[in-house]
Amino acid sequence: MMSGERAEGAEGCFLDEETFRRCCDHFLQRSQALHDGWSWEQVKGTEEGYMKKTVLGTGRVNISTAQDGHPRAGEVMDAVGDQGQVDDLGDEDTPVPAEGSSVIRFEYHVLYSCSYQTPVLYFRASTLDGRPLSLEDVWDQVHPNYRQRLLQGPWDTITQQEHPLIGQPFFFLHPCRTADFMRPLLQVAHAENRKLNYIVSWLSVVGPVVGLDVPLTYCEPLGSPALPLWHLTDHCLTLPPAGAWQTLHSKGCLNPTAFDHHLISFSFTWM
Amino acid sequence: MADDKDVLRDVWFGRIPTCFTLYQDEITEREAEPFYLLLPRVSYLTLVTDKVKKHFHKVMRQEDLEEMWFEYEGTPLKWHYPIGVLFDLHASNTALPWNITVHFKDFPERDLLHCPSNSVIEAHFMSSIKEADALKHKGQVVNEMQKKDHKQLWMGLQNDKFDQFWAMNRKLMEYPTEEGGFRYIPFRIYQTMSDRPFIQKLFRPVSSEGHAHTLGDLLKEVFPAAIPQDDEQKKYLIVIHGIEPLLETPVQWLSEHLSHPDNFLHISIIPAPSD
Repeated sequence: MMSGERAEGAEGCFLDEETFRRCCDHFLQRSQALHDGWSWEQVKGTEEGYMKKTVLGTGRVNISTAQDGHPRAGEVMDAVGDQGQVDDLGDEDTPVPAEGSSVIRFEYHVLYSCSYQTPVLYFRASTLDGRPLSLEDVWDQVHPNYRQRLLQGPWDTITQQEHPLIGQPFFFLHPCRTADFMRPLLQVAHAENRKLNYIVSWLSVVGPVVGLDVPLTYCEPLGSPALPLWHLTDHCLTLPPAGAWQTLHSKGCLNPTAFDHHLISFSFTWM
Repeated sequence: MADDKDVLRDVWFGRIPTCFTLYQDEITEREAEPFYLLLPRVSYLTLVTDKVKKHFHKVMRQEDLEEMWFEYEGTPLKWHYPIGVLFDLHASNTALPWNITVHFKDFPERDLLHCPSNSVIEAHFMSSIKEADALKHKGQVVNEMQKKDHKQLWMGLQNDKFDQFWAMNRKLMEYPTEEGGFRYIPFRIYQTMSDRPFIQKLFRPVSSEGHAHTLGDLLKEVFPAAIPQDDEQKKYLIVIHGIEPLLETPVQWLSEHLSHPDNFLHISIIPAPSD
């Protein structure tokens, strides 16, 4: 079977664990064909696991080093203040000087949440010498378009949380609204009697918020021409095709209230 | 038999006598006396240790103060677990008071979440309540509450106000009589034998034949090694709030009465003392 599941209408916005695994399997096959680095990590002694990808990027890191050589994590704002660079903070238009950038190692994990019956994206970031980025540092990496959205609700933001399978601190995007923004996508697919991979669609929405891109080619079935799934993945493009969201909207597939508080709503600003 | 209401009070007012000692390598200007506190089992370490922080700050230089964190016998203590869970899991075999070591340096980034303010604890607490309600009622009860209702739950915990907390929390404990319980039981099973911090699965309070599922049924499904075979000596203790409930206890009753304020039933599985 190609990509897992056919959307099951209004109730189909939830994902059971078996389907999660099937969607991951397909996603990983595709990743292998594309050589883009996703792998499945099994948790020792259990049947559970997660998808993982590591990416190297660049960004601005404010880690200051205390006298003993340890980063003063969690006190980045103070540290920046101490160095007299506080003017740069919050000013999105200030160009980042090259010497302020460093190489950052991002690690993304896709897990299943049985409570919310959705996938969840966990991630962490560190410098190449292994020093973890603080929450403030991670915020600096979030694209300004998303930052505003994320700041509006206490649970729709990036928080630090224990990785439930390996017990280490990670950042994550809270899954409690995932079903809300997946519902319209699944309803469209259902109405058109079309299959889609939940993981591909979901990750193409939440991934870019934290710097993770999902290439459009993930929507093509293996060994066959592309399906017309552009509207599920237009977040990968700089600009969506003209009229794309209006089309969806006119079909009654997008419920603006469901989107209003969520990250996907930035899409409307492109129309 | 005592009224079930009394159980809620007993759980809420459970306390652990604790002695906080400053880590030996911390630099002080004069000797740091240990500090004693009765810790509420249902609260969080970083929520109830302002006095500890102030006490040690007095003897330390400003520049040596970083984020405070706690450790017991080499194990960093996760503030985001309820205090009672930390004690049952790591220290239930020790004599009281519980000796916790206090650090202001070398924050263990790989082990602990940062806790820069009480709002982080509040967000964590409300997130747990939301997740529990997603399991119990598809999130409907918590989503129908107003912001001030959420605040009431949090303020009840923060200020140790049993009545304030339960006036709101009882709504989260309701279920349709004909269904005999919640949709799923919000529970977490902790053990220290592997890196995996806890086990959490979907588990219904009532079987498909209509029988009430018991604690024994839950363990059989999720952690079978915890249940002793007929002729075998007990290898593990199954502990909730410092007691070992009977394996015949229905999980629905446990969920309603022995859950923490975050609405999860936290079950610790610890090696039985070999004496």
